[in-house]
Amino acid sequence: MKYEKINMGAYNLHLIQTNKFKTITVEINFREKINKESITKRNLLKAVLLNTNKNFKKERELIKETENLYDLKLLSSNIRIGNYSNLSFKIRFLNEKYTEENMNNYSLSFLLDIIFNPDIENNSFKKESVDNCKIKIEKSIKSIKDNKLKYSLLQLLSTTNNKPYSYNSYGYIEDLEKINEQNLYEYYKQVLNDNYIDIFVVGDIDKDKIKELFKEKFKVNTFKKIKKDILIPELKIKSKPTISTEKDDANQTQLTMLYSLNRLTEFERKYVIQVYSELLGGSSNSILFDNVREKNSYAYYINSNAKPYDNIMMIYSGIEPGNSEAVIKLIKKTIQEVSKGNIDEELLKNSKETIISSIKNSSDSPNGIINTYYAKELVNSKNIEERIENINKTTKQNIINISKKIHLNTIYILEGDNNERD
Amino acid sequence: MKEIKLNGIEETIYYKKLDNGLDVYLYNKSNITNNYVTFTTKFGSIYNEFIPINKDKYIKVPHGVAHFLEHKVFAQKENPQPEEFFARSGAICNAYTTFKNTTYLFSGPKNLKENICFLLDFVQEPYFTDENVKKEKGIINQEINMCNDNLSDVLYEHIRKNSFNSNPFKESIIGEKKDISKITPEILNTCYETFYHPKNMFLVVTGNFNKEEILKEIEDNQSRKKFKEFKEIKIKEFKEKDNVLKSKEIIEKNTNISKYSYNIKIKQNNKISKRKYNLYLFILFSILFDDTSEFDEKMKKEGVITNSLYTNILNCDTHTIISLINETNNYEELEKNIEKELKNINIKEEDLERKKKVLISNEIFSFENIEVINDMIVDNIIFDNKIENNMIKLIKEINKEELDSILKNIDLSNKSIVVLKSNNSKKSK
Repeated sequence: MKYEKINMGAYNLHLIQTNKFKTITVEINFREKINKESITKRNLLKAVLLNTNKNFKKERELIKETENLYDLKLLSSNIRIGNYSNLSFKIRFLNEKYTEENMNNYSLSFLLDIIFNPDIENNSFKKESVDNCKIKIEKSIKSIKDNKLKYSLLQLLSTTNNKPYSYNSYGYIEDLEKINEQNLYEYYKQVLNDNYIDIFVVGDIDKDKIKELFKEKFKVNTFKKIKKDILIPELKIKSKPTISTEKDDANQTQLTMLYSLNRLTEFERKYVIQVYSELLGGSSNSILFDNVREKNSYAYYINSNAKPYDNIMMIYSGIEPGNSEAVIKLIKKTIQEVSKGNIDEELLKNSKETIISSIKNSSDSPNGIINTYYAKELVNSKNIEERIENINKTTKQNIINISKKIHLNTIYILEGDNNERD
Repeated sequence: MKEIKLNGIEETIYYKKLDNGLDVYLYNKSNITNNYVTFTTKFGSIYNEFIPINKDKYIKVPHGVAHFLEHKVFAQKENPQPEEFFARSGAICNAYTTFKNTTYLFSGPKNLKENICFLLDFVQEPYFTDENVKKEKGIINQEINMCNDNLSDVLYEHIRKNSFNSNPFKESIIGEKKDISKITPEILNTCYETFYHPKNMFLVVTGNFNKEEILKEIEDNQSRKKFKEFKEIKIKEFKEKDNVLKSKEIIEKNTNISKYSYNIKIKQNNKISKRKYNLYLFILFSILFDDTSEFDEKMKKEGVITNSLYTNILNCDTHTIISLINETNNYEELEKNIEKELKNINIKEEDLERKKKVLISNEIFSFENIEVINDMIVDNIIFDNKIENNMIKLIKEINKEELDSILKNIDLSNKSIVVLKSNNSKKSK
C-alpha cells in the first residue's frame, strides 16, 4: 500500500494505491466549525445535491445512472467530529479492470458532477427538488422517537447547555422552514469556498491520472488557513448529577448516563480512554456487561462509549422497567471498583488486544484506510505501529488515574410502562 | 480438498467433507489481516416438531428454543468463557439464530488455529443446568421487550403471522415469554443432541491463512471426538394453504408516521430452480417499485411517500412472501397505486438488462469483504445445500419470455396488508 498526500492548494488530495480491492473508493470531505443553525441547511444541501443535477434532471434518472455504472454505490453523510461538521460524498465502484474501459473516469466524473454541476437557474436551486428534499428531512427529524435509544441519548445530551454534541444531527423543523432555493444556493457557494476539503482515493489506481483529473475538474481555489480546534471544552465537574425521567409507552426502559472527562493528557485522550471504555463496557466481555447482564439479568444490552474529543463518555442500557435505581447503583459501584484498582489483569490485557485487532483490521477495508488517514489529518493520529505500541504500553495505573478524571454529570431515563401488557 | 470454482468471477472456494460428516469450506484471500470463521448448525426456529435422535416419536418443543439454545451453548462449565478466550487474542465472538440455522462465529487477526479449535470445542461441549437456564430467561425476556419496542420488528412479526396458517415461519425466532417460560435443560439437551451433530453442521473459514494447515488442524480436532450414530433428522411435515390467513390488519401505535406493508403470498414454482425463481422475483419487484421506477417518481411527486418502497423477499419453503414496505401517512393512496401497478405489469427489456448488470456487479462486490463472502457461503448452504458456482450464468440467462411466463402463474391478488397506524393524538408526557 502506497500513500501520498498532495497539497492541491485549496484542498488535500490523499491517494492510496493498493491492489487489495476490486473496487475504487473516492471520498470528498467538506468540514467547517459546527454551528447549530447550519445543521438543517447542510442536511438539506446534501439531499438536494444527491437528488438531481444538470445531467440528470430527475432523481430517478440519476439513480438509473448509478446502476448503469455497474451499480456504483453513492453515499453521503453529514456528521459531527468534535467541533467540526463534516459533510462527505463518497462513491465506490468496480475497477474498470472488471467492467469496461474508461469506467473509472466516468464514475469519477459522475461524483464531481454531483458536487459541481447542480441544477441551478438564476442563482437558485430548483424549487421542486428543494421541496422534495425538505419533506425527507422533515420525516427524518420526526422519526427520531421511533428509535428509543437514539431519542434517549439526544434527550440526555440536550441538557448540556448548548455544547455541540447536544445538537440534533437530523436538524430542526424551525430551521427547515427558513430555507428556500435561493439561500440554500448561497450556502452551497459558501461551503465550496470556506470549507476545508480533504479528498481520498483508495484502490488500484494510476496516481498521475487521478491527480490530473482533479486538477482539471475539481474547481475550488480559495486557500484557507487550517485551525486545529476540534476539541470541545470540558463540562464542569458536578458534585451531584442531574436526573430526569420521562414516561413512555414501551416495554423496555432506556437508561442513559453522561460523564464528563476532565483534564485528560494527550496520551490519555488518544489511548488510555479507549482501553478504559473497552474494559468498562465495550463488549460482552466487559465489566459492566458481566455485572449488569450476566450476573444480575437486569439488561439485554449495556455499553459505554467514550468521545475523547468531546470530553465526554456515555453509558446506556436497555433494562427491565422498575430496575433503574438498582442498575444505576450497580454501575456507580462498578466504576468505583475500577478506580480503586480492582481490575483483572487478564481482562485489561484482553481489552488492549481487542483494540489492537481493530486497529490492524482497519487496513482491510477502504473505509478503514480512509478513516486512518483522515484521523491523521484531523488529530494528528499516529501510524498503526505506533498506536499499537501505545495501546500495549497502557498500564493498570493509567486506568486508575484516568478513572479519577471521569465524573457523572447527567442521567436520563426513558421509563417503559407497558411491561405487563404482553 | 475439492475446488469449487466460481465461474465468471475468478474466485475459488475449497471444500472437504470430514470423516465425521462435518462440511468444511475455506476461502483464502492474501494481503488482508483479519479472519472470519463461522460454525453453523442447520437448526433454526422453524424446526420445532421433530423426531429426537435415537427415538421414534415426534415431539414438539416450545417456540424460541433454537435461539435460547444459542445463548446457552455459550455457557461453558470451565473457564475461560468464550468471550474471554477469544478476547485474549483480540478476537470478537458472537452468534445468531435465524429461521433455519444457528451460527457461532468469531473474527480476529491472530491465533487462527487455536481460535478455530476453541470454537469447535465450545459449541461441541455444552453445559446446561437448571440454574443457568433459569437465569437466561431473564435476559431473553429483556431481548423480547426490546424487539417489541422496535416497530419494524413488530411489523415483520405480524406479516408472517397473518400470511401463514400452519407454516412454522409464522412464529417469531425469539419466541414469546410464555414459550420461554416452558424451556428446560432437558428440552435444550434433546434439541442439542439431535441437531448439533457434525453431519448437520458446517464450518466456513474466510481470511488470510494456509489452507492445508488449517484443514489439518480442523481434522485433528474432529478426529479426537466421538459422536453418536446419526440417522437422517425427521422434521414434521406441514401443509400450508395457498391463501393468506388474514387479509388486513391495522394496529395503532405511538409513532409519528404509519408503517405500511403490502404482502403477497406466492406458491413455489416447480418448473424452475428455487434460486432462479428468487432472482426473477427480485428483479420484477425492483423494476416495479424501487427508486428507478415510474411508480416511485409518481408517489413521491404526489407526496404519498418520501422514501422509496422497500421490497423484502422471504423464502418460506412452501411459499415466498413478498413484502412491499414503506412509511406513509397516506396509506390508502399508496395501496391504491400499488394495486394499479400490479394489475398492469409491463416490464421493459432495457430495465431488465440494467437490473442484470446490477446483480452481476454485486457478485463481484461481495468478494471485497471476508465477512460478506462467509455470509454468502452460509446462505448458499442453508438455501439449497450447495454453493452455486454459476451465479453469473444464471443471471445472464434471465430473459423477458421466462419472466412473462412466471408472472402468468403468480396470483398477485393473494395479499395480506399490515399497517402500524400512527396515533398522534395519544402523546406521551
